[in-house]
Amino acid sequence: MLFQISEPGESKIKEACKQRVVGIDLGTTNSLVAHVADATPEVISGEGGPLVPSVVHYAVNGGVIVGRPAQAKALDAPRDTLASVKRLIGRGAKDLASVAAMLPYELTSDERAVSIKTTTKIVSPVEVSAEVLRELKARAEAALGGPIEGVVITVPAYFDDAQRQATRDAGRLAGLEVLRLLAEPTAAALAYGLDRATAAANGGTYAVFDLGGGTFDLSILKLVDGVFEVKATGGDSALGGDDLDRAIATAVLGDKLTGAAHAIIGAAVAEARRVKEALTETASATFTLGDVKKPVTRADLAAWAQPLLDRCGKACRRVLKDAELAKDDLDGVILVGGSTRSPVVVDFVAELFGKTPLSELDPEQVVALGAAVQADVLATGRDDVTLIDVVPLSLGLEMMGGVVEKLIHRNTNIPAGATQTFTTYADNQTGFDIHVLQGERETADTCRSLARFTLRGVPPMIAGMGRVEITFLVDADGLLKVTAKELTTGKESSIEVKPSYGLTDEEVERMLVDSFEHAEDDLVKRNLLVERVEADRILAATRQAFIDDPEMLTADVRAAGETAMTVLETAMKGEDYLAIRHAVEALDVATKPFAQLRMNRAIAAQFEGVALDDAARKVGA
Amino acid sequence: MASPSTSRIASPADPGRAASPDSDAEVRSSAARPAQADLFALLGVAPRYDLDLKELEAAFFAKSKELHPDRFASAPAAERVAALTKSRALNDAYQTLKKPVPRAEYMLAAKGMLITDNERLDPAFLMEILDLREELAEARAAGNMKVVEANQGSMQTRRKTTLSELPALFAANDLSAIKDRLIALRYLDRYLEECDAALDSDD
Repeated sequence: MLFQISEPGESKIKEACKQRVVGIDLGTTNSLVAHVADATPEVISGEGGPLVPSVVHYAVNGGVIVGRPAQAKALDAPRDTLASVKRLIGRGAKDLASVAAMLPYELTSDERAVSIKTTTKIVSPVEVSAEVLRELKARAEAALGGPIEGVVITVPAYFDDAQRQATRDAGRLAGLEVLRLLAEPTAAALAYGLDRATAAANGGTYAVFDLGGGTFDLSILKLVDGVFEVKATGGDSALGGDDLDRAIATAVLGDKLTGAAHAIIGAAVAEARRVKEALTETASATFTLGDVKKPVTRADLAAWAQPLLDRCGKACRRVLKDAELAKDDLDGVILVGGSTRSPVVVDFVAELFGKTPLSELDPEQVVALGAAVQADVLATGRDDVTLIDVVPLSLGLEMMGGVVEKLIHRNTNIPAGATQTFTTYADNQTGFDIHVLQGERETADTCRSLARFTLRGVPPMIAGMGRVEITFLVDADGLLKVTAKELTTGKESSIEVKPSYGLTDEEVERMLVDSFEHAEDDLVKRNLLVERVEADRILAATRQAFIDDPEMLTADVRAAGETAMTVLETAMKGEDYLAIRHAVEALDVATKPFAQLRMNRAIAAQFEGVALDDAARKVGA
Repeated sequence: MASPSTSRIASPADPGRAASPDSDAEVRSSAARPAQADLFALLGVAPRYDLDLKELEAAFFAKSKELHPDRFASAPAAERVAALTKSRALNDAYQTLKKPVPRAEYMLAAKGMLITDNERLDPAFLMEILDLREELAEARAAGNMKVVEANQGSMQTRRKTTLSELPALFAANDLSAIKDRLIALRYLDRYLEECDAALDSDD
């Protein structure tokens, strides 16, 4: 290798001019910060090593303690010591019940978001997360000798728009300039791909199996010459190490745990975690809590973990299918997250993918290392790394009748955009209610509601003549912006989607799983809704037209029309969408001569003085 | 029904869509794209149906390196916006061209032949599909996943066979034959989705 010849002191000057940027892995259980020095990412250590437990203690005297010292307060003051807050970020009242049972502190909510009630005050998950981020920022500033100018924060790949927005808000609240939100498995792949010592440095197709404290992601990436393309991603949020801890505690203690005090649950789960970690090194350990003393073997752990691992396996198979790959197409499987230290998990992954998983880089540090690289890319403009990530969950709009029309499908590369034109439903409709949704199911009530807004000022027209063009734009952070434009007037309305409430990881995951399980039910339900709405519209329009223009109606056509309407009304009461569709078609045929006359007159009236060709084009004839 | 001053969006503007659940997303996404945008030119590959997928991916990666928003993170706002727009168009082009059915539909549309939702089907083909669906529904109801898997397998073979006819038809520029195959493929794909749904719910 040639020596780099440089003026003395030049690298120091370069170092001084360089922006001070870092990458942060904001985890459910632990968080850490890393930066790039001399082209190599490294974690920043503080007291007690690089990991900062994601725990915040609000003292009764008003003080705030973060990390290991806070963790020490957990048993004495469970209500004031907040752990696993990542499970709450970006969530709403709807999600309260499903998360409350898991956490040893008190939750409350308004219609906007979930909050935590300590003995002295109410704090939001965004505020608590900001305290953890502040601690990491202070650490980095002490180590790097100056203010931090920018940060990349990682989020689980399956985090939805609300959870991403809330994480970004926490960064802002901590006084950080958030350069980018980065998916955790993507960050891990970045660290692997750039580390010359790993097999992944030579490129290929890799699965990243990321099992953290409260989150599970599986992403498949292709690595070629500095490009990192995410092929598909998915997750199962009931699969964090936290869930395994609870499964162990429940298996050992059984009924004693139901309805127990917060402090007891906290202590049982802490002991379960200790046993789980001990089983990484030894084949058996003893669960000890009060009078209870119970030996636990690695085989016990494997059996208790099985239901969680099965769900994980299902998510993995789905992601492979989305990527149109078989497990043999993979060059390797990379392990990420503290929970992948467990031999039970390692064995499961090895069997699932048929290959020994890779853990060359520390699974608890690799996400932060990748985030640091991405921060460096954004700050310096270095061009040896390009990340192409995807939208984790489909984005769409609610249609009349409650069905969802997807505009951007899951696993579409970002930045992404889609534009679609929609028509008015009713005569003289003057506005459009726009309801933005995220999820895989077919009906609005089963997807996550992201935002609602109304486009007004549509000129009164016959139903179906008014047209609105709606555009979805997803930026490189995976955040959505929606624009609506009325096409005859050019009137425009847009919204940065700011979700008003959140969705649980469990809900995101359940939505995905359900969409597969109920795909067929959904389709029938959707068809029925669509046909009924269409039938309603046609009946109303036909009746109104019969009243408006009796002179165009012959006795024969009127009789045929009335009969067809009766048939349609009967069909609508049933559940058979095909019967409704056929009745609509029959009504259409019966009233065709009448509709023709009306259309001719409408064209003549609307385009008086316009050449006939133009008129025909405008009505789409 | 009361006449509301504002109302939810009625339906996508493609005529007849609501009445035809058998059609799927492709036609809409291609309809949303300005017809004049040349996706092949955008990626810098030769405009042919039987393109080399490795070459397409290499071209996409090379263009992504140039155009990705990360390259412009500290550029002036106008440049950042321009890069975002270009990067989005590039992603969209790649997404369309990398899969055979969207690629064929795009190429057909570029030649002025659109697939609408009211296409006439060969009655024999329609009857056959309806019978197959009925068979599938019965197997699913009876929990007979062996039959579902067998039907899925034979449908996948049939899909492959239909797809394999496309290169020659494109070479011969036989647009109406291509259109027939693409319409049939929609029905085959819908059927395969139903197989997936049946197998997934059985897991």
